[in-house]
Amino acid sequence: MPFRLLFRSLFRHPIRALLTVGSVAIAVFLICMLHAVVTGLARTVDAAASNRLLVQSAVSLFVDLPLAYQGKMAAVPGVEAICKWQWFGGRYEQDKGGFFAQFGIDPETFFASYPEITLQEGSLEEFQKNRSACIVGKDLAAQYGWQLGQTVPIAGTIFTRTDGRPWEFTIAGIYQTSTPTIDQQTLYFQFEYLRQSLETGGAVGPDGVGVYMLRVQRGADPVAIQAAVDALFANGPQRVQTTTEAEFNRQFVSMLGDVPLLMQMVGGAVLFAIFFAVLNTMIMTGRERTRDIGVLKALGFPNGTAGMLLLAESLLLCGLGATLGVLAGLLLEPAFQAAVGAMLPGFGFAGDTLLLGAILALGIGVVAGLVPAFRASRLTPVQALREVG
Amino acid sequence: MSQNSIELRGVTRIYRRGGQDLRVLDELDLTMAGSTFYALMGPSGSGKTTLLNLVGGLDRADAGEVLVGGEDLTGLSDTELARWRADHVGFVFQGFNLLPVLTARENVELPLLLLPLGRRQRREQAERALEMVDLGDRMDHKPRELSGGQEQRVAIARAIATDPEVILADEPTGDLDRDTADAVLLLLQRLNRELGKTILMVTHDPQAAGYADRVIHLDKGKLGRIDDNRATAGRS
Amino acid sequence: MALVPLRYNLRSLWVRSSSTLLTVCAIGATVAVLAGMLSLQQGFVTLFAERGRTDIAVFLRKGATSEGESGLTREQCAILTKEVAEVQKGDGDRPLASAELFLAVRRKKADGGETNVSLRGVEPLTFAIHGDDVGIVEGRNFQPGSDELILGEGLRARFPDLRVGETMQINVVPFKIVGIFAAKGGYRSEVWGDLDRLGEALQRPVRSRVIARVPEGTDLAAIQTRFADDLRVQPKVLTEAEYLTSQTQRLSLTFGILGGFLAFIMGIAAVFTGTNAMLAAISSRTHEIGILKALGFRPFAIFLAFQFEALLLGLLGGVLGCLAVLPLQGVETGTMNQTFSEVTFAFRTTPAVMLNAVAFAAVLGLIGGAGPARRAAKMMPTTALRRG
Repeated sequence: MPFRLLFRSLFRHPIRALLTVGSVAIAVFLICMLHAVVTGLARTVDAAASNRLLVQSAVSLFVDLPLAYQGKMAAVPGVEAICKWQWFGGRYEQDKGGFFAQFGIDPETFFASYPEITLQEGSLEEFQKNRSACIVGKDLAAQYGWQLGQTVPIAGTIFTRTDGRPWEFTIAGIYQTSTPTIDQQTLYFQFEYLRQSLETGGAVGPDGVGVYMLRVQRGADPVAIQAAVDALFANGPQRVQTTTEAEFNRQFVSMLGDVPLLMQMVGGAVLFAIFFAVLNTMIMTGRERTRDIGVLKALGFPNGTAGMLLLAESLLLCGLGATLGVLAGLLLEPAFQAAVGAMLPGFGFAGDTLLLGAILALGIGVVAGLVPAFRASRLTPVQALREVG
Repeated sequence: MSQNSIELRGVTRIYRRGGQDLRVLDELDLTMAGSTFYALMGPSGSGKTTLLNLVGGLDRADAGEVLVGGEDLTGLSDTELARWRADHVGFVFQGFNLLPVLTARENVELPLLLLPLGRRQRREQAERALEMVDLGDRMDHKPRELSGGQEQRVAIARAIATDPEVILADEPTGDLDRDTADAVLLLLQRLNRELGKTILMVTHDPQAAGYADRVIHLDKGKLGRIDDNRATAGRS
Repeated sequence: MALVPLRYNLRSLWVRSSSTLLTVCAIGATVAVLAGMLSLQQGFVTLFAERGRTDIAVFLRKGATSEGESGLTREQCAILTKEVAEVQKGDGDRPLASAELFLAVRRKKADGGETNVSLRGVEPLTFAIHGDDVGIVEGRNFQPGSDELILGEGLRARFPDLRVGETMQINVVPFKIVGIFAAKGGYRSEVWGDLDRLGEALQRPVRSRVIARVPEGTDLAAIQTRFADDLRVQPKVLTEAEYLTSQTQRLSLTFGILGGFLAFIMGIAAVFTGTNAMLAAISSRTHEIGILKALGFRPFAIFLAFQFEALLLGLLGGVLGCLAVLPLQGVETGTMNQTFSEVTFAFRTTPAVMLNAVAFAAVLGLIGGAGPARRAAKMMPTTALRRG
């Protein structure tokens, strides 16, 4: 096969080649992004730890469980440690339009139960010692330029202080996570601080616990614990629902409803658009080459050569586009991660995302190349040479 | 039968156009001697180009046999035909038909890719062909950067690069002015005289036909008279 | 100035029909994505914002941004329902105001997943406040003080197991479903029951909000100011329309941003495609352009002719894109809104959406055609003719 001819032909119309490569790149980039969202959701579910169970109200996400439940659950055999989680839902005073999550937790059991979370700066002792201390994710700290020891004012929406002032949390540590499925954009503070404020009348709001995390002892049967805990409160006052972490995450994904389907539809449309674009380019290219095809045939090149050249050209265009698209994706990945990380910590380009982009692009390349290639191989030299332009 | 003679036996070619059958060639019998320069003349639609295409193995007859250098083209498959073209014929077209993306040298090298040659051999052979057409100094120019006469000479170099026995030319001077045309025709004549190539050239220009040894006249798919220019030239 | 006859462009598009068709398809797919997103946004916005009334005031706890976050005690509710002078009076000179309890409760989806359904505890006066906007369409209304529920008709399609006569377990108390109600806006995806009974079943003494009928144009800010120093309750007061708009802003914005982002990026690709098609068209018609120029058409006329052709490509793509989303018209879809409760809304491809989409496509065509048309206009007649 005359390779030189191939590469020369590829950029015979440089603008057109670049435009085609550009549209393939855009398509691959978009498809990778959409796929990263969908797999990000799946990853959140898959990466869940098997030794953590979550206990929530069986009635509603927004109903708290009584504090008294902790003691009863601690007595269930196989429960090693308990960490309370309470959604705070406050707004940062300096950026009311922005949003990040805040949770009240138990520092003593939190770090022991979540080995994925480690302090990058500051210390656990500091966090435990100071009632109004908090730790923040490193991405969050970077976003607002927070430093260790700084005080963060948060306006309560669910929990408001009776003096009308915002809550203030002092940063005792900056944490990082070892897995992309746990975000680095959350503020954690002491549950005990919230409880005491409510008890002393310093604040108003629901007194209870959003979610209890139960750490399962090594060797204990999580299924048995789930059943035992659910049975404890089957007759009220609040029924509970104990789930594995994976199931818990899956519930949230499920609540997104048709969003993943929507993403797939958009991906399909992108694929559709780009397929037609490349096919159009290749058919036009095939047309313009008709005379050249005739010459090659007259010179004695086998029937398939001209077709193979067109096919290879199509593959090269799509391959180049795919490479650029994937590179653009990798380049912009951190920016997107920062943008959606709080919502979707699992967002990221896994190997299969990149592979998908590459395979789709090459698939389009093959099909779009085959159409003119087939025509080229069927043209007789006489027909091809007679055609003008 | 000589290595490079051409023989047509009862060749018929029918085109179907608008539901009507058009007999472009009608049971044509014609023998052309080897190492001779033939011109093929006739009014438009007389079947000149069709005849040329049949001899070059670009087209197939509906009936009859075409023998070139003793080889019967009738029975060859498309692939075998392509292979045969690469080895035995060189084409020169009216519109030159050079590949615009390749340089002169690369255009000439193109048919050599089909032969079992090394890279250096290919290069040397292409350069030799270009020097033969006096374009040794324009080898790295793209067709766009050459004049019409130069383009046609590159096309001729491409036709002779593989050292074929037969060269087929379809109106090679149709797009050229008189002086340039004369140079191209002289070149073809030289290839016939010095290298012994059989040349079949379609033309409608009597002056161009004057460079050939013999002139075959076609009319409505039938053979007309054959003039022998050498005989006339000898007499005058 | 003499213009190139439009027929010339129409014929040209027709002659290279396969290229035209492929380009139109590529642009069409892009437009379809935009039109789809706009249709979703439209469905969503219509569902909420347009249904909000301006003669209903909503009282939330100060600082709360939604009723899910808000909390008012019974005593506070009593103050707000009785002591606001602006509230209109109903039968028996009672103020048309009622407290409500709102909670998104868990519900298994038909496909096995889980979602949240909005549960609202209401008082008899609630129906009076909403007037004709809420009405029973099947079965009957719940009896005040009883463990009965009525369902918004929007839930029927998504939860086939919820029917009149069935029971629905709320925490540990079974409630009987006795009727289906029609309502405007988001209410049609809710489950309603007796305020006190639901509060008891859910073990929630706190109410979420108070609503009241007020004369159109009432100064709600004045009410809020009046209570600013009241130690008993400091409400946040806004009209129902304002409240619903604030609730839909984020998701509506998300659709807008997502649609805009996708349309922008895909639009670039579509412009590339259009440019490509037009470049190819022009290079294969170099000879024709030469003839047009030789005949005396001015460069600008040629520019216009090719821009017109590109515009046609874009418009055809726009129409195709709209046609592609039309089958989705009315298809219901659901997601979580910002209070984490399930909202169901339908694709609404309104004329405005279609107009926007087609205009977008036309712009794509014009941008894509500009470069090639300029190139055609600038071609020298001599070179154009020679290169043919």
